This record gives sequence, C-alpha cells and structure tokens, in this order.
Amino acid sequence: MSLNYLNEAVESGDTEQLIRYVRLHFGDGNEKNGRKEIDKAWIEALKLLLDVPATDREFILKTLGEKDAATLAHLFFHLHFYFVGRSGEWIHDGEL
Amino acid sequence: MENFKETDLKQLRPGLWATVNERYPGSMITKTDFVPLARLKKPLPESRIAFISTAGVQPKNSLPFDTVHPVGDYTFRRVPSRSKPEDLEIHQLKYPTVGAKRDLNVIFPIERLQELTEEKIIGELAPNFFSFIGYNMDALKLEQTLAEDLADAVEAEKPDGALLAPA
Amino acid sequence: MMGHHFGVPRHKELQRRIILEMLDFLTTATRSGEVKMLPLKWANARQEGKEIERRLELKEV
Repeated sequence: MSLNYLNEAVESGDTEQLIRYVRLHFGDGNEKNGRKEIDKAWIEALKLLLDVPATDREFILKTLGEKDAATLAHLFFHLHFYFVGRSGEWIHDGEL
Repeated sequence: MENFKETDLKQLRPGLWATVNERYPGSMITKTDFVPLARLKKPLPESRIAFISTAGVQPKNSLPFDTVHPVGDYTFRRVPSRSKPEDLEIHQLKYPTVGAKRDLNVIFPIERLQELTEEKIIGELAPNFFSFIGYNMDALKLEQTLAEDLADAVEAEKPDGALLAPA
Repeated sequence: MMGHHFGVPRHKELQRRIILEMLDFLTTATRSGEVKMLPLKWANARQEGKEIERRLELKEV
C-alpha cells in the first residue's frame, strides 16, 4: 500500500522518497512536471508580493496561531493548487 | 456455477499496471479473493438499478471532493438519479474531463439511464447514484472505510443490481 | 479511454449501447471476475462522435 510505503520512508528518514511522492502528486504522475509545478506556485506567490501590497497579516498570524498543524498542512496543499491555477498554466486533466 | 480461480488471474494491462505502480508506489494492489457471482433475481424491467462511479461527480453546491489531499478523499456523494447534468459538477484532477465537460454522459451516463428507465428496459433507478474520487493512496482505508460506508449507503437504496464504473 | 468509458460526447447511441452491454452482462456473466471485451475502437468512436457533432451543429445554425 502506498501509505505504508510513505510511512516506511518517514521512519527511515528517506526524504527523497517523500518529496518524490509530492512531485508525483503535483505532476499527475510525472516527477519532472511536479518539480515545475512547485516552482510555478512559488513564482506566482512571489509575483503577487513584489509591489508590497497591503495584506491581511492579522488573519495570517491568527490562522497560524490558532489552527492545528494538520489543517495548515492541508491548506499548504490547497495553496499550491491555488497559485498554479492563478498562473494560468493548468497541466492537470481535471479540475479541483 | 463456476467461480473464479486464482490460476485464472491475469493482469489485462500489465504495462499500465507497472507504470502506475512506479509513479504511485504501492498504490496498485492485487486482489485474489473474488466474491461469488451475484445474479439478478428479477428480470431487468422489474429491477431497481443503482449506479456507482469513481468520476468525482457531485451535485453543485455540495462539499467539493478533496482533490488536493496527498493521501486522497475517502468520502462519497449521493447524486439524485433524477438530476440533470447541469445540476452536477465534477471535482477530480486525475482523469481527462474534456469530454465530460461537453457531455457528462461519457463518464456518468445519467441521462441514458433515465431514458432506459422511461423505455421500461430498466424497471427503475435507485433514488440516488453514488460517486467518489479514485485518488486514494491508503488502500486499507479505502476498503475498510469508503467501501464499507458506500456499500451500506447503496444497500439502503434497496437496488436489485448495481453498475460500477471507473473513471 | 480514460475519462470516456461510455463513449464520446453527444454520441447517444454508443453511450446507450455500452450501458446495455453492461446490463446484459448482469444476466449473462458465468462467473465472478469474468471480463467481456467489447468490439469497439476508440478511433471509430471519435470519428463517429465528430460526425454527430458536425450534424448537430449544422442543425443548430
């Protein structure tokens, strides 16, 4: 089972297998595409902050302070796809 | 009645199986315990038929399937069998929805099933169809949670037969 | 074809045929695990679908 495989990777500290799994998820089974997708999301996030627009830091700090780590991890995955979507280059076959 | 034997096991698309297992390590599992064949107890024109799909089809405004979670979503949605395609939407990342966006029936043939019922080829449709997404990396949870919950929900609709379709 | 297990858009006849084959198999399957392959080709289905869409679009004009 894939989850067992991931748990084994966590236990043995095999971080390469873990990040490979993330890349495969983001790249729809293609690791190279997954790397590009991760870059794309970060580039999009960076671009949005270059003009130093006003942002809701209170919301950010409140969320980070109040929400559990698992919820924030889940949000992290959502944010990846959110920024990929904003980039206008959608490689995935389906929709969120 | 002859049941399936382990010696009959044959991977229909071994290349694809190996590719998916390489890309999503451990996600492809082998099942060797086949359930006994269940026959329809009534003629089809008197039978109530259910439809179950991994297409990620759901009524608009229902909680979208979690397509971002790295380990998958183990919930299902009820889709009223009287729904029109325009009442439904798809949340699923991992299969091509290009055809379904133009005609949902290519993956979730709700209109065709409604027509076959109107023509009395099928007795009636179960009040609800069911859908979930196929990106589930915890096969044990899939079997013990989603499959069990779904089986109970389908059984509550009292169908005489069920069509299962992947996406 | 992945994402198109009941055929191609607006090809009602093909979509219906695939369902009827499924329903037929409910009564004709002889054992658990049996697989029935349909004599359908994706290339033909696509071609027929395009032709149907072309005719429908002509009608809508």
